[in-house]
Amino acid sequence: MKVPLLVIGGGLSGLAAAVRAARFVPEVLIIEKHSRLGGLNSYFYRNKTLYETGLHAITNYAPPGEKSAPLNRLFRQLKLKRKDFSFCQQQQSEVTFLGCESLLFSNDFNLLLEQINSKFPQCIDNFQKLLLFINSINPFLPSPFRSAKRKINEILGDKLLTDMLLCPLMFYGSSHENDMDMNQFVIMFQAIYLQGMFRPLGTIKNFLDHLHRHYHSFGGKLRKNTEAIKLLHKNNTVYGVELKNGEIIECEQMVSTIGLDETKKLLSKKVSPAQPRLGFTETIYEIKPEKTCSLPRDKTIIFYNNSNEFSYKNPDEFVDHSSGVICFPGNFQGIERKEVVEVRATHLANYTRWKSIASCRDEYLALKRRTSRKTVTNLENIVGSFNSNIVYENSFTPVTIERYTAKIGGAIYGSPVKVKDGDIGFKNLFLAGTDQGFLGIVGSMLSGVSIVNQHILAKL
Amino acid sequence: MTSEEVKDLILEIIEDIDDEADFENLKADAPLRDQLDLDSMDFLDIVMELRKRHQLQIPEEDYPNLATLDSCVTYLEPLLKDA
Repeated sequence: MKVPLLVIGGGLSGLAAAVRAARFVPEVLIIEKHSRLGGLNSYFYRNKTLYETGLHAITNYAPPGEKSAPLNRLFRQLKLKRKDFSFCQQQQSEVTFLGCESLLFSNDFNLLLEQINSKFPQCIDNFQKLLLFINSINPFLPSPFRSAKRKINEILGDKLLTDMLLCPLMFYGSSHENDMDMNQFVIMFQAIYLQGMFRPLGTIKNFLDHLHRHYHSFGGKLRKNTEAIKLLHKNNTVYGVELKNGEIIECEQMVSTIGLDETKKLLSKKVSPAQPRLGFTETIYEIKPEKTCSLPRDKTIIFYNNSNEFSYKNPDEFVDHSSGVICFPGNFQGIERKEVVEVRATHLANYTRWKSIASCRDEYLALKRRTSRKTVTNLENIVGSFNSNIVYENSFTPVTIERYTAKIGGAIYGSPVKVKDGDIGFKNLFLAGTDQGFLGIVGSMLSGVSIVNQHILAKL
Repeated sequence: MTSEEVKDLILEIIEDIDDEADFENLKADAPLRDQLDLDSMDFLDIVMELRKRHQLQIPEEDYPNLATLDSCVTYLEPLLKDA
């Protein structure tokens, strides 16, 4: 069989790339290794309950009328209708560093301005300068790595405020240790602070099902449980894939969303020298709140740091509990209070360590439990006690994430090296998704769309 | 196609891209982009729709010819005369 466009990976960037192309040329094919769509933003079932993976919140919120906003541009490009989706905006979120003032922010940027004005009054003028600086940058122009941390600290003149502002942006999208690329910072600052966070009313499964139906309506095809083991190429032209079952699928053009080094491996090309990748653990707690339990109802996401120096790097120990993200998926506007509430906690984790004990099942599970207990203790100091009300808990480690997403090292934000234009030296194979450098659900979907627009459509 | 038909075709394509596009007070000799709040990604859709519907291949250097409704008609009418 031969298809005009083959998309490797049925995550959100692959789905978006495929929908975009299928609008004009049907017969597009997505192959997905896993039995489900979604990649890093997917779901699983335990005890007949659906649990989401990945999704805390979608960034880049925009009201329907704002035509030039990334979210609405994305919807137009994919011919999706805003009225077919119910989006719930965040209530408010918080950055809290132990022993310091905390910063609240919401989808109304004025809240963050007021917070800085009242808690960091000495910095408010410099913060306005930072906003002007952010405005002056076109983050989509390819440029070498520039340290965002150094520049922001230089403009703000306050290390604590710099770290507090960076903390959510790093946790939600930095593949670099202790820093961010300036372009990435600008994109994330706009996505999180200036535009804001939301989630769909239903589950990520509803969202993925909608996209799948939409793709299908254009004539696009999907094969799940289908793993490519080799990308077939001659010189700098690809002509197909070899699947695990030996089958060959030929194609005119290819978009790979599986990651830079992951793609190179399938091309039998040398991968770049190992650079530290950032792994994470996430624990989901299902809690039946009673009178004794006073979890916040008005906070959507809390980013915390308990150590003297905020560090965002591959930890030496299994899990770095000194900082993390606490998400309350029920605390978005317009979501009905359920009998059981969910709390999710994310920490940086060391992939190599988890991998080293993964084959000793008992030891691995015991460590998962210990880690989860330690997370509870940390969380309770911030959100109040809930330990005795937990009815279910489940943790993923970087090893779990690697198993289900095939991301090297379970690194959800991928390689520290990004290929902004998707060009990896082939005439008809381009990279989209995480390692193209746009992150988050809207970002990765726009990545798929823009790679198809730039490199594929004219040749289809 | 007559020039009126070409005009309608373009408007129909734009409406298809953005169902909230407001054609009232649309000036035929002023850039569509500014009047309708379209960006370069939307413009690519016009090009792709013309290709899908009428098998027209518009080279990138000709995109500026699609800037206004009038210039669309001037450019497309000869190409679509048999359509």
